[in-house]
Amino acid sequence: MNEGRRKFLGICLGGAAASAAVAVGYPVYRYLAPLQKEKSAVKVVIPEQEVPVGGAKFFEYAGSTAVLVREHDGDLVALSAVCTHLGCIVQWEKEKQGFICPCHAGLYTAEGAVISGPPPKPLAKLPFVVANGIITVG
Amino acid sequence: MGLFKRLTDWIDFRIGVRRIVAKELTGYLLPANINAWYSMGSILLFIFAMQVMTGCLLLIYYVPDADKAFKSVTVIMNDVPFGWLIRMCHAVGSNMMVLVLLFHMLSVLFMGSYKRPRELNWLSGFILFNLVMATSLTGYLLPWSQLSFWATTVATNSVSSIPVIGQYLVEFLRGGKLVGPPTLGRFYALHVAVIPIAIASLVGAHLFLLKRTGVSTPPFGLKESANQWQGDDYRYEDHPGGIPFFPNYALQDAVSVALYLTFFLTVVFFDPYLFFTRESFIAADPFQTPAHIKPEWYFLANYQTLKIFSNEFIGLSVQGMAMTCLALLPFIDRGRERHPLKRPLFMTAAIGGILLWVGLSIWGHYS
Repeated sequence: MNEGRRKFLGICLGGAAASAAVAVGYPVYRYLAPLQKEKSAVKVVIPEQEVPVGGAKFFEYAGSTAVLVREHDGDLVALSAVCTHLGCIVQWEKEKQGFICPCHAGLYTAEGAVISGPPPKPLAKLPFVVANGIITVG
Repeated sequence: MGLFKRLTDWIDFRIGVRRIVAKELTGYLLPANINAWYSMGSILLFIFAMQVMTGCLLLIYYVPDADKAFKSVTVIMNDVPFGWLIRMCHAVGSNMMVLVLLFHMLSVLFMGSYKRPRELNWLSGFILFNLVMATSLTGYLLPWSQLSFWATTVATNSVSSIPVIGQYLVEFLRGGKLVGPPTLGRFYALHVAVIPIAIASLVGAHLFLLKRTGVSTPPFGLKESANQWQGDDYRYEDHPGGIPFFPNYALQDAVSVALYLTFFLTVVFFDPYLFFTRESFIAADPFQTPAHIKPEWYFLANYQTLKIFSNEFIGLSVQGMAMTCLALLPFIDRGRERHPLKRPLFMTAAIGGILLWVGLSIWGHYS
């Protein structure tokens, strides 16, 4: 009889302790978790003249880094600037019209395709529209 | 269960953990007539741990820059999930720490536990009390609100009445002629590093002294309540036939902490702004002194004392003398008797002192 009561009380105590741990742990987890921004609000507006022919414009996008490139034929490309190897930010090489990742020398074309080095996949392409001289990414 | 036993065996065979438990917990005997007032220290340890944890969490979003501090606190309160809860726990907890500390000191006073050979326990506790007041004062400035700014201006200014060096001391405390960004920098360093480390170290010393002298016996329910220590040699006060710390008194500690949490969480959830005023929600403005700025409740008696005396130096000296008497109490009150009802002179002085403190605080609040 006593053993049964002891076990019951032990279970109650364990349950109370677990509830208390959740009551403390959940607010602390939410407090520490990165603040979420609404995805629909992520739009970046850049005037067309800020991206010259053969040049690149880096900017912050959705909490990360992105880049706009205008190739010599006038085509625009919007890419994530985060290297697909280990997450360093790629650098634009105007003379070679391509990207290099300074961390492990991964090379990409202006469209983000991998030329050589360790990157396992191309740079992610981002959606954009151009209207009235304004580029809207996102 | 088998895995748990094997794991404890594995640890025990290496560091003898069961022997420590037998000596320090189950075999650590406390007086049979011990009461709930002895658990105040455990509640204080719990509060201190809570303050350290919530303080560390606040450091993640708080920016100790005069231009950004108020905004960062606003972000914690309004934008960070449960930021309001963490901050309220920290702000209410600081007030509770002072309150429970006062109860702890009162229980030691009335049960005569400060008497020899426990003078060092009392002194270390008294210094801890002052450090807690100091950490509360320095933390008060950090939100950089009107209340923070002007309460700190008034508090630091009172030091200026010390002859000769007073004005220099004020500037040294503030890091400039007036409270400003340099004050925030030094109060921040004191609040998050220097004072907490000092408190943790002194708590360690306080517990060490408690372990060396042994827990005092409550003077209630005994035929002989006078202090038996002769002062001729070191003697550990043991309690043969007493109750074990674990599980018996640990359960009392847990009950006391649970009761404290009930009171604390009631304030946090139902009256979180109990210790805040309108000025707490306005950013500091060095060109706009608010009317009737008041310090925290535990500094109200000091505030009113300074107002009573036309000369600020006399006001400070009176407070200094009162605090010195309190610090040196075990050396002043050398009688052997510990039962409060058998110490009429002490009881008169103690109750008179408490009434005076409460009276000055109420006067300070409404003045």
